[in-house]
Amino acid sequence: MRISSLAVALVAFACPLLASAQDESVQVQSIRADEQIILSQIMTDKRAVYAQSLQLTDEESRAFWLVYDEYEAKVKRIDDRFIRLVDDYAAKYSTMTDADARQMLAAKMKIDRDRMALQQAYTRKIAKAVPAIKALRYAQVESRIDNELQRKVMQVVPIVP
Amino acid sequence: MTFDIRTAVFALAACAALGAPYAATAQSTHDEQQRLIAQIQTDKHAIVLKTLALDDAQVAAFTPIYDQYQVERKKLFDRAADLLELYASNYESMTDAAARQVLKDWFALQDDEVALTRKYARQFGKVLPPAKVVRFVQVENKLDTLVRLKAVANIPLAR
Repeated sequence: MRISSLAVALVAFACPLLASAQDESVQVQSIRADEQIILSQIMTDKRAVYAQSLQLTDEESRAFWLVYDEYEAKVKRIDDRFIRLVDDYAAKYSTMTDADARQMLAAKMKIDRDRMALQQAYTRKIAKAVPAIKALRYAQVESRIDNELQRKVMQVVPIVP
Repeated sequence: MTFDIRTAVFALAACAALGAPYAATAQSTHDEQQRLIAQIQTDKHAIVLKTLALDDAQVAAFTPIYDQYQVERKKLFDRAADLLELYASNYESMTDAAARQVLKDWFALQDDEVALTRKYARQFGKVLPPAKVVRFVQVENKLDTLVRLKAVANIPLAR
């Protein structure tokens, strides 16, 4: 079966698990620190990115940040759940049982669903607070930030052995 | 600022099937796009199989389910292409009503993408060890993230 060179590159990206056992230990130990640095940096940068990209009037700005601050407080709780899951994953990485794998997969999928539901609910609220075009622009920027966050997280979290 | 919907749609098509280089084929016909997608989907199958490192019995159990998964993923891609068409056709004179419709369709697509992964994780869980299912979801998520990063780079923000 033919695999394109790009596809091979993607496999390499998708498999940071190819490190040696010693590297793996170091990698797993650093997951939590890396993850927290990434989250903290992106959460700080997000507000500046929105301020610049949404171009809100003063009135829109007051309405937007009121809703956004509420959203950010709630999404922080989901981020905290995700960090705890990554900690658990790192702790059990080398000795993962079938039960661990099932539990962590279910937890990850629940976190993803909860995050998506929250993002959608608050985008709808934002669409009532500012013009829908700006709410769409907000959702696009939020999605791009999320994708970048996911990319960075995937670089530090190895695939299950 | 304008954007070429054919380029953007093809970028999404290529990316949806694993991020193939699209620039040289921006003028491709629909049939050419479909052929390329089919080829890339074949490559994706190979990548997933290689990454999961299944034994022969597991491959035999995995493949028919995965093939069905790919069929359903393709339908979601077609909806994503429709959504992009809707966005592009309204881009130059976007109204609030059009923006609301784009958001509504986008969210429905997100819901269905998550539901599809969940559905097939359950199905794979019946024929594969849990760690392999986790690995499948991890690889799919990684590839999806790459797809989205590439696709959105060709789609300007609403204005």
